Amino acid sequence: MVDVTLAAVTCAHPSGTMLFPAMWVSATLAEPAHFSWLETGLLAAGIVISLALFFWRFGPILRNILHSKQDADFSLHPVGRRVWDFFWEVLCQGKVIRQRPLPGLAHAFVFWGFLAFALVSSNHIANGLQIGFLSPESSLGKFYFLFAAAWALLVAVGITGLFIRRFFVRPIWFGKKVSIESGWIAFLIFLLMVSYLGAFFVSPGGAAVKALWWTHTLTLLVFLPLIPHTKHLHLVISPVTVFLKRDGFSNIPPLSGDEDFGLVAGKDVTQLISLQVYSCVECGRCTEHCPAANSGKVLNPKEIALGVRSYLNELGPVSDVALLAEARPETAFANLLSMEAAFECTTCGACEYQCPVGIQHVPVIVGLRRGATNTGVWEDTYGTKLFLALEKNGNALGLSAMERDKFIQKEAFPIFDGTQEYCLWLGCMGGYDPKGREIIADFARVMKYLGTTFGVLKKEKCTGDPARRLGNDLVFQTLAEAGLKAFETAKVQKIVAICPHCVRTIANDWREYGIAPEIEHHSEFMARHKDRLPKQASGESIVYHDPCYLGRYRDVYEAPREMVRQAGTLVEAPRSHERSFCCGAGGGLAFLGEEQGERVSHIRAAELAGTGAQVVGTACPFCNTMFRDALAEVSTAPPQLLDIAQLTARALPKMQETGIMDQGTGEQ
Amino acid sequence: MKILVAIKQVPERDAQVHVAADGKWIDESDLNYTINEPDAYALEEALQLKEKTGGEVVVVCAGPERVTSTLREALAKGADRAIHIEADDLGSRDTLGVAQILADAMKSESPDLILTGLQSDDLGLGQTGVVMAELLGIPHATIIMHVEATGSGLKVKRELEDGWFQHVEMPLPALLTIQSGGNKLRYATLMGIKKAKTKETKTVQAAAATAPAIALDRVYLPEKQKKTEMLTGTPDQVAAKIVEKLKFEVRVI
Repeated sequence: MVDVTLAAVTCAHPSGTMLFPAMWVSATLAEPAHFSWLETGLLAAGIVISLALFFWRFGPILRNILHSKQDADFSLHPVGRRVWDFFWEVLCQGKVIRQRPLPGLAHAFVFWGFLAFALVSSNHIANGLQIGFLSPESSLGKFYFLFAAAWALLVAVGITGLFIRRFFVRPIWFGKKVSIESGWIAFLIFLLMVSYLGAFFVSPGGAAVKALWWTHTLTLLVFLPLIPHTKHLHLVISPVTVFLKRDGFSNIPPLSGDEDFGLVAGKDVTQLISLQVYSCVECGRCTEHCPAANSGKVLNPKEIALGVRSYLNELGPVSDVALLAEARPETAFANLLSMEAAFECTTCGACEYQCPVGIQHVPVIVGLRRGATNTGVWEDTYGTKLFLALEKNGNALGLSAMERDKFIQKEAFPIFDGTQEYCLWLGCMGGYDPKGREIIADFARVMKYLGTTFGVLKKEKCTGDPARRLGNDLVFQTLAEAGLKAFETAKVQKIVAICPHCVRTIANDWREYGIAPEIEHHSEFMARHKDRLPKQASGESIVYHDPCYLGRYRDVYEAPREMVRQAGTLVEAPRSHERSFCCGAGGGLAFLGEEQGERVSHIRAAELAGTGAQVVGTACPFCNTMFRDALAEVSTAPPQLLDIAQLTARALPKMQETGIMDQGTGEQ
Repeated sequence: MKILVAIKQVPERDAQVHVAADGKWIDESDLNYTINEPDAYALEEALQLKEKTGGEVVVVCAGPERVTSTLREALAKGADRAIHIEADDLGSRDTLGVAQILADAMKSESPDLILTGLQSDDLGLGQTGVVMAELLGIPHATIIMHVEATGSGLKVKRELEDGWFQHVEMPLPALLTIQSGGNKLRYATLMGIKKAKTKETKTVQAAAATAPAIALDRVYLPEKQKKTEMLTGTPDQVAAKIVEKLKFEVRVI
């Protein structure tokens, strides 16, 4: 029935305005000339009922948000950033349009149209209450109602487009369930617009004017109570959510007090999380970009938001019932928020980056992991092995620290003693992994070539990144404190590292325990000095893979590309920059066992190999290690796999190389 | 079941060990300490037994102030109480001496079961557990891979050589020395550490050391024995010398 009505009206209205602008068409909006007191009374009653129904449904939601635990670390600062986000993401619809141009624009039309209609609707209702304030005959009225009419057209077109997309195109990330409510909402919005536009086509004073007026009014009154009940709640709260969201990208908040172990039960859900999950509009952008959801895993970031929302609806914000599904099999939403799903997240942040309503998925997922790991509920053979390795050996690979010492000796890396400019951070991969060591060694050659002095720490422990992302705050804190102390003791001023995970963890996550020296990624360092580094003329095609922790997390997209251009011809992957698809290693997953479903690394490797580039350029030792096997698996003639440090170092003159050895130059 | 676990604190596995100036022990400055690995497995076995049968797990450790960190870690992993036997002179006590102070502290607890690692990572003597059992007058079994509580006693699986195992039933109270690798160790959790703060650690003074029956004479790093002798001369002469050496020195031809 919805379809029929829509089709009929859609045909009617362009023909009226565009093709036959004659006869009764007027540039002035026709408004009912008079309202009887009975009509006014009916309207008032309608408004009261509509508002009552709205608050009857919105009240519990608001209570759930307000009664959630306060965010201990919340601060309005920096307000400038918040105002900008609000302006760009809400008012300009920048994110919505940029990431999905066509539906985004359709949505923006509806949104801007609604804003334009604020004045129209207020006046419309005020007329019925006999206190109308904007006459269609006044010059402002003449202009504004026509202006609104233009928007009404755009809204009608936009909502029709969105309706067709939702019910006929049906992108897979909308999920299997067809939301009938969305259809009704679309119909009501359409009806609002048509009943408004219709008033330009009827002669003033006729019965049709009144009929249109009442149609418009009743549609408004029906629309209002539907808002809190459906995902259209985002109309009301998502502007607030965007303004209030936690500062920074994928920031994990500190635990507060002795009883806080992360998201264990409903009582641990904070106000920001509540606000965010109630804002979810189920658009599925997070799902569309999620490496887990796209490789046959249980995890679907949208369902994380909806799971917490279901929990709050069913059990409230002060409940002691566990959040994780495994511990509450009897609940109605036991299929949501499973521990399995929570531990499938690579923390790539694509979901959070894409979310148009300000939901920060990663802190929620990591929060669920913290709740499970900090209380010992998470039992995983690989996870336990990793934690014990970090506890005992201080590195994620579980190797003896002597292995690192031997490597440092072999490469003759100087020990940082305060006289050098940079502390070169090796990280677990650079210090222990064979391929990571090649990258570090090559980057050291680049530094030497540039004449930059550097030294390595005598002892170095993991930054705690995998522990942090897997929710082990004890191990993370121990390692962060040890690291901060090591830098302080050695009087380090500047750090450079080859691993974006190390950079992120030292620069951001350690802040919970102190301030680390300034750190940068080797791509940033090399790009700054690129004019002094040799340009290669080979023209070799190199496809660059954006690591999540360098791109989305650190906003560094250009620096590594500059180094790739220096080494050959840059080829862009189908998904690049902020849309880059994860290699599958992040969030500690590099250390966990075999994945469910398809391997994330294979999907990405196939995509990179599919560009036909001769070389895959990486900027993260974890991406590198993931692609090492994956490329061989997905391609019979796999492209070469090189870090940007290797791409740069290969062009350095041989003399320099032998010079580094401090001996044997005579043999050249 | 009341289970006591005797643990030892030892230098970290990958520590750079140097011999102390007096040549009697290693230089302890600049060393990081951790739980002796077989003792970690003994603790794990105790915790799993407690999870199955209920009761209490008490950890006991002798040594200077620094061992309290290892005790705290054990409490964080799930032990209920800790006993610290304060002794700064463990180096001057032999196995009997150390077993004696451990047994003294354990006696008043009247445990049902005592577990300890089968040997220590530093000295590796493998005797402390057995001597303790003797001092307390209770039966013991060594190199245990698996423990199962029956109604009145225990069923244990001992590791023998060459892939053989021995299954033994024994009464309680008893002492077992636990082999590494029988269980999966658990990781320490934030919640465990926070709970550990509220758990009791009792400190007792070790009795004065008596003259040890065995004294450590010298501690030294393994000495390289390889000696290379270069043979010179014409190929014929060198070949003759090699044959001579193989015949009369190495005696393989």
